Amino acid sequence: MNAHSAMVSATALRFERVTKWYGSIVALLDVSFEVGCEVVGLVGKNGVGKSTLMKLAAGLLQPSQGTVHVGPHPAGTAAARADLGFCPDVERLYEQLSGVAFVAWMLRYHGFSRRDARARAAATLEQLGLGEHMNRSIREYSKGMRQRVRLAQALAHEPRFVLLDEPMTGLDPVARAELSQTIRSLPAQGVGVLVSSHVLHELEAVVDRVVLVHQGRLLAQGRVGELRAQLPSQPHRLRIVGPRLRELAAVLVAWPQVAQVRVHDDSLEVSVVGESGFYEALTRLGAAWDGGVHEVVPLDDDLASLFGYLVG
Amino acid sequence: MNAPRPLGFVATVVESARQTALRLRHHRIWTLVVIGAAALYGIAWLVGYQVGQRTEDDGVIAYCNLAWWLQATVVTPWLTLYLGVQALHGGLEDRTFQYLFLRPVSRTALLLGNWLAVSLVGASVGALGAVILFAGMADNRELWPDGADWRYAGAFAGACAIAATAYAAAAMAFSAWFRRPLVWAAFFVVGLQQVVANLPISAGLRSATITDPLRRFVLDAIEPTQRLARNLWPAEATFDPEQVGAPLLDLTWFVLVALAIASWVYARTEYDARARD
Repeated sequence: MNAHSAMVSATALRFERVTKWYGSIVALLDVSFEVGCEVVGLVGKNGVGKSTLMKLAAGLLQPSQGTVHVGPHPAGTAAARADLGFCPDVERLYEQLSGVAFVAWMLRYHGFSRRDARARAAATLEQLGLGEHMNRSIREYSKGMRQRVRLAQALAHEPRFVLLDEPMTGLDPVARAELSQTIRSLPAQGVGVLVSSHVLHELEAVVDRVVLVHQGRLLAQGRVGELRAQLPSQPHRLRIVGPRLRELAAVLVAWPQVAQVRVHDDSLEVSVVGESGFYEALTRLGAAWDGGVHEVVPLDDDLASLFGYLVG
Repeated sequence: MNAPRPLGFVATVVESARQTALRLRHHRIWTLVVIGAAALYGIAWLVGYQVGQRTEDDGVIAYCNLAWWLQATVVTPWLTLYLGVQALHGGLEDRTFQYLFLRPVSRTALLLGNWLAVSLVGASVGALGAVILFAGMADNRELWPDGADWRYAGAFAGACAIAATAYAAAAMAFSAWFRRPLVWAAFFVVGLQQVVANLPISAGLRSATITDPLRRFVLDAIEPTQRLARNLWPAEATFDPEQVGAPLLDLTWFVLVALAIASWVYARTEYDARARD
């Protein structure tokens, strides 16, 4: 480990060779990755260990083997918990309390005086768009409002790392967009984020990198584009829109990189294996084609496709 | 980062107690207390009236029997156990404990705060009930030819308050340890305590219950006649004040051991993993 990576590690949320058993069931096996000052998406099917990873970082669970560090502190210690905010996938809240009372109560345990805790809780809820409802009882809140309260208790003490377990659940499209914006803004404030979600296209818009977990193992990690490029045997699919589609299909199918061409009413779906020279040739063809090529859209360069290719 | 230092141990206990008490208040406890107080007054008055009509017993015997067998061994224990289980196990059941365990404070302090709040509420309600029972009984003036002696109300109010702290500690231990704490509470109150009450006076196991030292505390406080003593302690044919021993010390040990077990389990258990085991 060189000096730079050692410095990054000391300020990162770090999972090192983590294994977790529940009785005789292996929930996680030898998982290692880091989260720096960035947004990292945790992707995997239900029950593959995403929540377990977050709970290990939060100190709610202890690893059977391996270590988890929150910056320089071992996970679960008071210092680690002070540096961490966690928005768990828990439906229930303290229903009888108001949003501001709940967040202020949590802040009290971080050492804020009653007055400061109340003021900070109010400011955080205001920031998350719950300002005018913060004094109402939580039991009267909609799903979206409850999710904002959960988020507020995770952010109000200004942690260095935030863990968000399925934060989009139950939110309407507007609230999702707002939450995405909030998450996206956190690294600029020096906060590292680990977020899991089933809504892969929305997750993709928010994250810098993804960590793919399958059956308790870390399957892949990196930027979506980089990971997609590491699957050369998996054809890239493109949608091409232009005039005289049948003639265009006849030209393309003769190219060595093209594995398959499907002709639809308004477009072609082209499968490309080994991209070497393909896009340059396509650009030249588009320029020379009578009427031009109107649109070339990759169909499987997204997180959902990547996830599908990797886990089947 | 401009967060201050996390809350200290004692401050965490106090904050946890404050929040627990606030949450118990939200369980409409004060509405129930008012209804319960009226019910207790009515029961005491009715029992006193029937005793006056049908027996030769005086108000002391009638009140002490009612206060012991109703308030000290049924109402106070079950109310305190229920509140204790609601306070601690309720959070484990609905998983809201996760919000608390994420904070940089000791889980033991959180648990002690719960115990403190439940003890205070249980003790207040238990003691108030004992006094209300006395008021209901004292309204039957023919039972008190020399006037109602409120010392008995004080003795049972004190006993109920002490019982509440012990039952609150038991509730913490059951809640932290077991998935169905009220079932274990029932086993403890109805099963173990009743069985142990019939063991010889020399049996050390008697001190491991709440009822036995509490009974000795009450008998010491009210200085009963042999007949009243037999009513309150049916397993002993003759009551000897030498048998009282050190009931408060026994109850203190019970509370300390119960809280030690509770905090040991609460601080170490992976409640999230328990659901999957």
